[in-house]
Amino acid sequence: MSSVDTPAARERPRAARLPRWLRRMLGLLAILGPGLIAANAGNDAGGILTYASAGSEFGYRTLFLLVLVTVALVVVQEMCSRLGAYTGEGLGALIREQFPLRSGAAAMVLLFVANAGLTVSEFAGVGASMELFGVSRYIAVPIALAAIWGITVLGNYSRAQRVCLVMGLVFITYPVAAVLAHPHWGTVVSNLVWPHFLHTQAFLLLAVALIGTTITPYMQFYLTSSVVDKGVTPKTYKGERIDTVNGAILGDIVSIFIIIATAAAIGGTGSLNSVSQAAEALRPVAGAAASQLFAFGLLGASLLAAAVVPLSSAYAIAETAGVERSLSRKLREAPVFYGIYTVQLVIGAMVALMPGNLVELVINAQVLNGFITPVVLTYILILANRRSVLGDAANGPVFRVVATVCVAVVGVLSAVVLAETVAGWF
Amino acid sequence: MGFNKVTWTPGHDRHRVSDAHFRQLRRLRARGENHGRERIAARALEGSLVSLAALIGSAVKDPDGRHVGELRDVVVSWTAAVSYPRMTAIVMRTGKRDVLIGARWIEVSAPASVRLHSGRAYARKVDRRSGDIALAHDVLDHQIVDRDGTQIVRPSDVYLAAVDGRVELVGIEVGLGALLRRLGPKRLRGRIRPQRVIDWGSIHGFAPRPGEDERTPRSRTAVAGRPGAGIELDRTAADVKPMRPTETQSALRRAGTRPGGDAS
Repeated sequence: MSSVDTPAARERPRAARLPRWLRRMLGLLAILGPGLIAANAGNDAGGILTYASAGSEFGYRTLFLLVLVTVALVVVQEMCSRLGAYTGEGLGALIREQFPLRSGAAAMVLLFVANAGLTVSEFAGVGASMELFGVSRYIAVPIALAAIWGITVLGNYSRAQRVCLVMGLVFITYPVAAVLAHPHWGTVVSNLVWPHFLHTQAFLLLAVALIGTTITPYMQFYLTSSVVDKGVTPKTYKGERIDTVNGAILGDIVSIFIIIATAAAIGGTGSLNSVSQAAEALRPVAGAAASQLFAFGLLGASLLAAAVVPLSSAYAIAETAGVERSLSRKLREAPVFYGIYTVQLVIGAMVALMPGNLVELVINAQVLNGFITPVVLTYILILANRRSVLGDAANGPVFRVVATVCVAVVGVLSAVVLAETVAGWF
Repeated sequence: MGFNKVTWTPGHDRHRVSDAHFRQLRRLRARGENHGRERIAARALEGSLVSLAALIGSAVKDPDGRHVGELRDVVVSWTAAVSYPRMTAIVMRTGKRDVLIGARWIEVSAPASVRLHSGRAYARKVDRRSGDIALAHDVLDHQIVDRDGTQIVRPSDVYLAAVDGRVELVGIEVGLGALLRRLGPKRLRGRIRPQRVIDWGSIHGFAPRPGEDERTPRSRTAVAGRPGAGIELDRTAADVKPMRPTETQSALRRAGTRPGGDAS
């Protein structure tokens, strides 16, 4: 036998020498991607405000609810990821092929409008967080816009994914901020494992808002399309499944730490109107470091979501139209895909820079999301149940029941918040 | 150089205009005339093309005009010997089940009408045979890709026509008008105005999703209807030139389409 001294041959024993846990960890890092990015993007500016508000208004009481939401998020995200890997098509494409054209088109239009509103809130988040560091929003937002556009449009899928994963690292700031706020860990654990709900309307509405902000349609559209764009196939789905499940759990752990941080520092002080208010409120109690970490987390979260939300619109509409849609394509090869992405990004940044109160606009975007969420989740459930779509990978009887319960609960609660908001208009 | 009017008449200006202006006017006039021709041709095609999008959901009636079911799909057979698949059956929903009725029992008329020849038409269980394509399930709204796998567009309608007494699949519509027509009120569905039609003759077959069984030789309909499968053209995206209504009209004339589109 010849002993070939190739770089690969030299690498193998070195890798084998690494401890098993480290090898496993490196293997896990290698498969991280769409699942983690989608879940992290779910902790966007609006999400952080809702979690911070939950902590400041009800202390640790919403923690158990978030554990339940995590189960629903894992179930929904896993179905999306499976659909992408086994069919090779995103949700937009599957909806166009498998459902009546009218309902699909209506869902796409609503998704685009809702995502436009969310993009505004993400850029507003960028501006607000940079102002906490003393940088004007009129400087920060255009720079953020140019950076996001450049990375996604001028690069390729792998580079965009790497940047998004690195941006996701800012979420480490929330556990640190939570520790700096010195929470009562015994109470935290007690609230995590046992419900401490309040029977008040305010608690119910906040609970619904928590669910609505954790499971949002753009996450599902982005995840399915991104799995396709990454080239995941049934053969490589096992790794993607780990990424999706871990991503959803990690994303919700971050949400839990945001609640813990605000509950420990400003719990019981009432609801918040802005995320910067939460960061400012942390300063006297938990110190300047906690406040700055909170603001830095908001910046990273807003940047990540500002890239992901318009991407989900671009993927969905390009898939519905049947034109090229991939981050690995050049600008001239996928003009419609990048065109939609650019338009939503630019409009979002411009509106975010306009003087005036954006709260109304952001609330309306969330109302629209509340309207789309049950529809999109129903589509996902039907598609994942169909053997004609997924073959043997379709939902089994047990998973079908669990998924139906999750979708029904989220759907009903979204309908409740929608009805409540619409009733508030009159 | 010339004048804006051929002759001068009292009360009207007649002034000199440049050659460039004349050329621009000629171009505009030609464009207008071309649009007019295309519009007339598109309207005329309503009499010779059968629209699948309009057919789906329409009532299937017996010779006495009684409602017997609702059309769900049209099945064509695409064997290796032919370029244009021939209609072999329709899928009809009657009560709560779908049945297959062979083409010999039915009469299809443009733009969107299906009628049974006999009140005793033989209905059989829905099954898929080799070479079969269910047009609503496998073609309408599915991805069209070019020879290199580049995603181009999705068909917004599928056209059939009566050729030599048979109903054949002749083309797929990729214009926006057909999509808007489907999104609009139901009564507009029968108003077919072909805009950009891809000749079915330029379709190579159904391609599996990228990375799936690419090396295995298959029949051209083997993966039809499978999620992720594309309708593959025999050319690259740059060479795809959808036909305008006048070109579609000429192509149908060459193929020997019977005016009125009736076939049984």
